[in-house]
Amino acid sequence: MRLISLLSVVFIAGFLLVAVMRLHPVGEPLGNRDVFRFRGDTVTDMRNVDTMDDYFLRNGQRETGSNNIVASVVFDYRGFDTLGEATVLFIVVCAISMLMSFLYNQNYVMEANFRGPDEFPRNVSRIISFGSFMLFPLIISFGIYLVLHGHISPGGGFQGGAVMASGTALLLISLLITRHVQRTKVIFSFFESLGLTVFISLGFAGITASFLYNFLANGSPLFLGRTIPFGPNPGFLNSAGILPLLSLAVGVEVFFGISIILIQLYHFTRYASRAGGGRDI
Amino acid sequence: MISPIIFIILSIVIIIAAFLSLYFRDLLACVVSFSVLSLVLTVIYFHLDAPDVAIAEAGIGAALTTCIFVIAVKLTRRREE
Repeated sequence: MRLISLLSVVFIAGFLLVAVMRLHPVGEPLGNRDVFRFRGDTVTDMRNVDTMDDYFLRNGQRETGSNNIVASVVFDYRGFDTLGEATVLFIVVCAISMLMSFLYNQNYVMEANFRGPDEFPRNVSRIISFGSFMLFPLIISFGIYLVLHGHISPGGGFQGGAVMASGTALLLISLLITRHVQRTKVIFSFFESLGLTVFISLGFAGITASFLYNFLANGSPLFLGRTIPFGPNPGFLNSAGILPLLSLAVGVEVFFGISIILIQLYHFTRYASRAGGGRDI
Repeated sequence: MISPIIFIILSIVIIIAAFLSLYFRDLLACVVSFSVLSLVLTVIYFHLDAPDVAIAEAGIGAALTTCIFVIAVKLTRRREE
């Protein structure tokens, strides 16, 4: 058995080393080195395009109107894969909610953390509780910034949603959360489903060309369709077509989905410690 | 661009953190060293010109995974036999 595991480790390590040898040099595309020189033509530029990343780097900014090439690949060229990832997260949340559904059947009520309306929670240090509670709006603002500027600067739906969900984890640490776990779950699952539904609806809105077609890009500036200058530019919020909308939908879905997971697991620890199952750390 | 010396130092810190997360018998210490691994990996991603991946690693690897692991340790045993 040890021999088999050793052989499999060597096998996988060999594959990874071969993959490392084929990686790009840092900051350079794989195929044509002077791919940036020709960027900015008005038609699809196929000169000296060797690989797909040459195509993305040369035509992505013009075709999608997005400064962030990564966002244009994730939400536009490979939008169907992003739909798959969002669906995987949705199914995970469904499975965990199904496992934790006994929290809502038995008359489980989280015990009160507060002595009075102006008091702090009993079981945690006041510095930790207040500090986490004050950090929460800052983290949420940073996550919203990441989601809304996903097509201009690094960030996007998944990253912003994960950062906002870490704000939920801070709120759990501070113990200043609501006791009504069922009401929280109903509201959060509604918004999570709304995010995924908006994503699929935006995909079907451009169905005349193809699924998830970016039908708003390079159109009217009123509807996110501003044509941006090529190369370095200050960045415009009303560019990139349906990319910011898809990013917002994914951000809402990721934030509420991961928040449901965290809140249910936290309530499960409270439930288990009351039943004598868990141990205090 | 990051200098190679700092890059090598960060890589060694990552390997040490990965080894410690396997070595500790206290599972909470394992979780903390795993979180340190994710945090240093975030710095490496950022200096390799991949800020998107760095933000995802900081949000998911360093924050959410740690939170879920701590909850799991609380629900089971803290000591490994």
